Amino acid sequence: MAVCIGFIGKENSPLFLRCINQSQELQFHYIMHTCIDFVEEKIIQSNKSGSDVRELYLGLLYSSEEVKAYGFVTNTKIKIVIIIDSTNSLLRDNEIRAIFRKLHNAYTELVCNPFYTPGDPITSKSFGALVDELLASSS
Amino acid sequence: MADDALFDFLHMEIVSHVTKSDAGLLQDGDEAMSKLEQIGYSTGYRFIERLTKDLSRFKDELEVMKAICKDFWSAVFKKQVDNLRTNHQGVYVLQDNKFRFLASISNSRQYLELAPKYLVFTCGLLRGALASLGLTCIVTAEVTTMPACKFQVHLQRA
Amino acid sequence: MARPGARVADSKKINSELFTLTYGALVSQLLKDYENAEDVNRQLDRMGYNIGVRIIEDFLARTSTARCTDMRDTAEKIQSAFKMYLGVNPTVTSWSPASDEFSLLFDQNPMTEFVELPDSCLSLKYCNLFCGIIRGACEMVQLEVTSWFVQDSLKGDPTTELRVKFVKKLEDAMPAGED
Repeated sequence: MAVCIGFIGKENSPLFLRCINQSQELQFHYIMHTCIDFVEEKIIQSNKSGSDVRELYLGLLYSSEEVKAYGFVTNTKIKIVIIIDSTNSLLRDNEIRAIFRKLHNAYTELVCNPFYTPGDPITSKSFGALVDELLASSS
Repeated sequence: MADDALFDFLHMEIVSHVTKSDAGLLQDGDEAMSKLEQIGYSTGYRFIERLTKDLSRFKDELEVMKAICKDFWSAVFKKQVDNLRTNHQGVYVLQDNKFRFLASISNSRQYLELAPKYLVFTCGLLRGALASLGLTCIVTAEVTTMPACKFQVHLQRA
Repeated sequence: MARPGARVADSKKINSELFTLTYGALVSQLLKDYENAEDVNRQLDRMGYNIGVRIIEDFLARTSTARCTDMRDTAEKIQSAFKMYLGVNPTVTSWSPASDEFSLLFDQNPMTEFVELPDSCLSLKYCNLFCGIIRGACEMVQLEVTSWFVQDSLKGDPTTELRVKFVKKLEDAMPAGED
């Protein structure tokens, strides 16, 4: 089950973080931060591999006994991370991809709102509601 | 689906709005131009987010510039950039031989001096799109012969 | 440049978004310039008017429309112009008994597709450009009308309703002026 969803900006500042259990928030912030380096690494690796297909979905970034973190990066350098409870990992790869796709769409629409300044922490209610819904439905 | 004509009318009206002060006097000053550029920047920054949503991940700077010349230009101007040149040191020159916002003015030399203000929005559009894709730059434009023009992109290396 | 899996979305849809985003950038720039939302509404109306006086030529040329006989006819033309330029199909409704006043109801509006109005902008009439366009376009065919928003879905109303009221016929063709 997904326990946390986070968005990280171009310059690696946190834009948004939502988790099911509030008491874990600090721990997840820390994991998000760690993931930034793994994202960079993944990108360099895949560019080196010379493969023609470069997906926005980056796959597994980080794994510990308790959690797994999956990553996604947009062409506009926004990183999205989903953290999953390792002890109860029922989500399949294609399900994780589907969640990323929805999150990416939601972010794109958010940026198209003329009253949202890109790079600012995300406070939109409809955006928050959508993330909550995705967290709830995948747990 | 918005019609092309509506976008052209809106663009023209934005240009005339920012270059006209409340007293009806013509303003050609830096302030007006910077407002126009800002409107373009904000539009380009958001528009490219949408446009590149379903594209695969760009590998490098050159791939980004190619996407700007093809995907971005066709989406905005219904045609691709006619020529892209680079010095491989962060300077790119995009040439459009029949620029949409100039084509509607007039081909005569008489209007050449009016032309620059019809390029500023697009300079902003380009700068915004590139900034959104992670490339900081300065964009300038010049009209060579109506309705052809060149946009010069200077990337700022970190 | 082969880009597997890469497909640019429908170009018309993209173009509609370009228009929407440009308009959004304009509105937020005006809010910076004027601070007061009432002034922004006025500017949007004025800009719409200037677009209206020009767009009517384009509309007449492309549709080879005959002169309107009455307000019901005019309402139909305005409705078809929304379809043609914005791809939306507002419903014409709520006629006044004298048939000189009607409403356009928008159940969808691409202009506001992504907009979330901040609490500080509740007196902003985001789409006030429309009012100006209708006024400007009608004036060019010797009809003086006023138009205003009665409901706005951006502010939590169930729908967006634009009211148009006939004022008078303009006898002499006025020179196209910008106000």
